[in-house]
Amino acid sequence: MNRRNFLTAAGGTILLGGAGAYGMVLIATPAPGGLMSPRPPSTRRWGMVIDLNKCRPDCTKCLQACRTENNVAFHGDKRWDIHWIRKVTVRSKHSQSSLQRTVLLMCNHCDHPPCAQVCPVQATYKRDDGIVLVDHHRCIGCRYCVMSCPYNARYFNFRENPDWPNRDYPKRSHGVAESCNFCAHLIDRGELPACVTTCQRIGVGAIAVGDLNDPQSEVSRLIDESAPKRIREDLGTEPKVYYVGL
Amino acid sequence: MRFERKITNRGRRGLVAGAALLVLCPLGLAIASRVLSLGGERPPPLLERPAAEHERCIKDTPYMRFHHMDLLKELRDAGVRGGAKREVSLASCKGCHTSRAQFCDRCHDRVNLTPDCFGCHDYQ
Amino acid sequence: MSDTQIEYRRIEGRSTPFYQMLLVLTVMAVAGVVATWILWSEGLHLSGMTNRIPWGVQITMAVFYIGLSAGSLVVSGLYGVFGRIEYKPFARLAAYIAMLFLIAGLLSILTDQGRMDRVFVEPFTHFNVRSMFSINPGLYMGHIVLCVVYLWALFREKKLLTRVAAVVVVLWAITVHTGTGMILGFIPRELHQSPLLPPSFVAAALASGTALMIIVLVTLFRLTRRHLDDALIVWLGRLLAISLVVVFYFMFIESAYRYYLIESREAARFYLFGGFHSVLLWGGLMIVGCLIPSVILFHPRLGRTIPWIVFAAAMVVFGVLCERYVIVIPGQTNPPELFPGMVITTSPLDEGFVSYSISSYEALQAVGVLGIVGLLFVLGLKYLALAPVEARLPRGAGS
Repeated sequence: MNRRNFLTAAGGTILLGGAGAYGMVLIATPAPGGLMSPRPPSTRRWGMVIDLNKCRPDCTKCLQACRTENNVAFHGDKRWDIHWIRKVTVRSKHSQSSLQRTVLLMCNHCDHPPCAQVCPVQATYKRDDGIVLVDHHRCIGCRYCVMSCPYNARYFNFRENPDWPNRDYPKRSHGVAESCNFCAHLIDRGELPACVTTCQRIGVGAIAVGDLNDPQSEVSRLIDESAPKRIREDLGTEPKVYYVGL
Repeated sequence: MRFERKITNRGRRGLVAGAALLVLCPLGLAIASRVLSLGGERPPPLLERPAAEHERCIKDTPYMRFHHMDLLKELRDAGVRGGAKREVSLASCKGCHTSRAQFCDRCHDRVNLTPDCFGCHDYQ
Repeated sequence: MSDTQIEYRRIEGRSTPFYQMLLVLTVMAVAGVVATWILWSEGLHLSGMTNRIPWGVQITMAVFYIGLSAGSLVVSGLYGVFGRIEYKPFARLAAYIAMLFLIAGLLSILTDQGRMDRVFVEPFTHFNVRSMFSINPGLYMGHIVLCVVYLWALFREKKLLTRVAAVVVVLWAITVHTGTGMILGFIPRELHQSPLLPPSFVAAALASGTALMIIVLVTLFRLTRRHLDDALIVWLGRLLAISLVVVFYFMFIESAYRYYLIESREAARFYLFGGFHSVLLWGGLMIVGCLIPSVILFHPRLGRTIPWIVFAAAMVVFGVLCERYVIVIPGQTNPPELFPGMVITTSPLDEGFVSYSISSYEALQAVGVLGIVGLLFVLGLKYLALAPVEARLPRGAGS
């Protein structure tokens, strides 16, 4: 056995072993009320369905949960506040009715994310499972992603975050960009994102997250049943956050 | 013309001397401080030793002493970019080296170094 | 007159005004460095930028400087590319200025980053071919290197290399400009996205660069009492006037297109009549930057009078600076349409029209970059043989 063969064999063993161990972990994880998909991790495609008919106009539980879980900075100044989720009310521009509608806005985790396209250091990238996130170790703070996001869903840390509620999760230094990452650290552990958990806990259940590639998942079922809309589908970015009742 | 040439040469020499001084200054200071503290070699920083049941780190001590940052970077890239597996990370260090002040900071302070990690990752 | 006979001379650089100028420029540079340090360590909230306006004065200035650079280089290339021997005396100076303003552009971009400490590593180790912001700094640095090669060829009087380098450098400058236009023109926002932006960038660059060269040449030759044939400047004035017409043409087409199409009419209305930027657009760019200088430069008498040409050139530089502002800022202050046909009534973020105000830190950064470039310029004049003793038309070619 020459050196090259040996290396190949060794590498193969390690890879196989790793994959095997990983599979074990996945199968072994019981997730009551959690997040499961029968598909292997790299072929999943996480998506979200928000039912605006269920969402209560005056409730901000998911926003608080997100802020606490992910240490999202709030300075009390509109210029620099960061909102991984934000709640807006919209009204028709043309009809005379004053019907207001509440909409949760966040990173749409586009299949063709303009932010990842323009990032000069590939700090913003799309994972194999469709989550768009920022590698804050690499971000140089050029803010090109903030410029190119058509949803205003990306934010820049203009100043240091004074709060650090969740010590198990890192915060961000000033000078880097960030946005919602579907709580990737929780999803990877087989748990639901903080906003979804909270919304379920208070008995509203307006937000669902699941594997769009899995026809049996809750999100796939909701999409089939209620033909939800996405924001600015015409832009061709293929967002993965769906809205029922928009 | 000749007069100008002379000025320029002098200017150039001044520039070179200035640059040399700028480069050599820290070096000279370092040597001076070394010479001044001659005979009084500072003892190595005292580090908190992990409890007996955690006698072994994931790599041997000489490697960790000089290359822990490389290893942490490797693990970081594997964790953040490479996918979902994050079994070993900076947080795992806390299992044995329970206090940053009595372990990490001891050497970092000694060499006047502020790692970028702790601004965002909690390590008490 | 054969082109090897040009005599170049450094400025003496020992007078009191010279040292006063050095002092002022140094103070400017230091102020910029201090401001940058504070912004970098405290955070960019000290700038006027917000989450709705992530790009402010530094990007505006970067685009402006890079334009000046490319324009000056074209003036330098008049000899090397187009074989206009009468412009050879200016080739060194113009190429040097081109290099300086490229450095200024890079400095402006660099000092605008949130994590400046990573700028020297990450963009090189994790190059993203799909990002205009990744490609452009490469183009800029290549441009600086090419400028150095070209300058070397000019200084050593290498005839062939000069011509080859001049062609490459001028083509490269146009590429750099197109690339810079693509950074902003390819952003999916209503007032940014435009295929016309890159060519209009090149046109504005040519205008501002030529204007700057006119100002620098006339001032320098007057101050150091060197002879400069009026006809040389008059011809540059003509070139400037033509490029102004092109700038105006592009701006007109772009705005007319946006206004004519119903889907972008609202945005176009905001662009043309929506606030402070509209004042800069109409007053700064259209009237001061294009209309008045064109009238002066095309005027049969004023267009041949040096002080008037310089006056017109100064207005053009100001006008192009305004143009850079209206390219960078209104596209951000105009909100993206998240819900067509609806209005957002409440939101924790400023969803509507916002305004940008420059903070003193940002302004100092811009001043600092100018100081550094100014220092390099006057020191270059003192230590390098950049400027010719005289610039005359070849005998028999005079007008």
